[in-house]
Amino acid sequence: MRIKKVTSKRFFIYLILSLFAIANAYPIVWMVLNSLKTADEFALDRIGLPEGFAFQNYIDAWNTANFGSFFVNSLIVSLVSVVITVFLGALAAYFLSRFQFRMSKFIYGFFVFGLLVPVHATLVPMFILMSKLGLLNTHFSLILPYVAFNMPISIFLLVSFMKSFPKDIEESAIMDGAGILKIFWSIILPMTRPAIATVVILSFINNWNEFVFALVLINDPALATLPLGLQNFAGQYETNYVGQMAGLTMALVPILIVYLFLEKELVKGMTAGAVKG
Amino acid sequence: MRLTKKAKRAIMIGLIPALVIYIGFAIIPIVVSFYYSFMEWNGFSEMTFIGLDNYKQLFKDHLFWNSLKNNIYVLIASVGGQISIALAIALLLNRKLKAVKFFRTIGFMPVVLSSVVVSLTWSLIYNVDDGLLNVVLRSIGLENWTMNWLGDENLAMLSVSVTIIWQFIGLYMIIFLAALQNVPKEILEAADIDGASEWTKTWKIIIPTIKNTIFAALVLAISGSLKTFDQIYVMTSGGPNHATEVAAMYMYTKTFESLQFGYGSAISVLIFLFSLAIIIIANKLMGQKAI
Repeated sequence: MRIKKVTSKRFFIYLILSLFAIANAYPIVWMVLNSLKTADEFALDRIGLPEGFAFQNYIDAWNTANFGSFFVNSLIVSLVSVVITVFLGALAAYFLSRFQFRMSKFIYGFFVFGLLVPVHATLVPMFILMSKLGLLNTHFSLILPYVAFNMPISIFLLVSFMKSFPKDIEESAIMDGAGILKIFWSIILPMTRPAIATVVILSFINNWNEFVFALVLINDPALATLPLGLQNFAGQYETNYVGQMAGLTMALVPILIVYLFLEKELVKGMTAGAVKG
Repeated sequence: MRLTKKAKRAIMIGLIPALVIYIGFAIIPIVVSFYYSFMEWNGFSEMTFIGLDNYKQLFKDHLFWNSLKNNIYVLIASVGGQISIALAIALLLNRKLKAVKFFRTIGFMPVVLSSVVVSLTWSLIYNVDDGLLNVVLRSIGLENWTMNWLGDENLAMLSVSVTIIWQFIGLYMIIFLAALQNVPKEILEAADIDGASEWTKTWKIIIPTIKNTIFAALVLAISGSLKTFDQIYVMTSGGPNHATEVAAMYMYTKTFESLQFGYGSAISVLIFLFSLAIIIIANKLMGQKAI
């Protein structure tokens, strides 16, 4: 009797979890499957499996909507921002975590305060600032705010990681006569690799997905990033559903691959930021 | 460790680049927002100082209050939908099951997607003629239930909120799962020996133990809902007839479409102050720095 009760409870738990999984995955699966139908096929059957693979949708989306250039723009902006964020963030975190000087606590707090700054409250001044600097419609107009807004979480993650190293690392190195920056480069940075991996993946995803700065700071379609390009494409080809779905799928797949391979790092970064901010 | 002059200089050199970019592009814009909010300005011509007039006008602006009301709608939906579903799923997942990892991976997946991709996908799902939702309803004979999900003033807010809830359940699920790892096993075992049911254990032991995490998640959901923008912009642009307009959306329209830069800045300032106030109040209530 008891075994039966336990089994039915298990069944019930699996049932709820499966429903949750379906609710999570199905919208995406539906979209990807339909991106492989021709427009006529979609008009007749919007739920079933595609008959073949209508890669033409992908080719059309790639050519007419300039997806190639959206990809390249997103890659450039995301990667350059990540490199700057990680390098400057790690350097700052090194000094904030390994040295005691008068302002260190304050500067750390000041960086972490950035987690509370809502991006939207900065849009108007950011637009004016970029236009005064002559940077509107350049990659830099996105790179600079992306670095600035990824800095708080990067410093938070890196400082807490670097703090955990034993204290005598620098001391023994100083005895060897190595300079402060050399210690950073050859000892601290390699040791921080796991935290750096988290920061790299987290800020890359943040940048890759970012929309509102791109919306305000980029007007030139040739410089649009993927989210902005997708939004414009959907606006222009409102009824070309299969084309939209092909575009969405192209934007989706790289992120899903990154997610599946680096899930642990990504989850760690996103939840640390979440609980902190 | 005593620092030599040389070391101090190295510290300065190391900190300055990060500080400059951070201050220049995250902190100064906030300060400048305050400054612009006292001005009347279309973004191009001369600015005129008008004191608190923008704020006075804002308090009388029923569209602004309407947008705040919609933020509160998102807030209630996020707290009610995201936190409760996430907690329930996390509690179910927190046991020896075969597919825990699979469910975690699928559960967190929407969180990593761009909100533009998510919103466009859901726009297609909500589409009146060809969307998944109406097509399914029609095919199971519920023709009467088909709706103009995003085009109907009374429904649009609900539809948009479902998307927002969908996107972020996974985030809270993972946060709760991490907290559940810290519930002491000995206490649960002792409760088992006393013959406590799972229901009792959940309410008397587990929930009280992760109370702080739940609270932190609440604050996160509240401050997140004040920042809602992407999904609304992509799915409805605040329409139909302002039915889904949230504060950030209203700020965007006022600034970049009506070119009232001063007025838009005043809205920005209020968004910033509201978010800050919520975090500060939350930390006071917690009596510690949880966030």
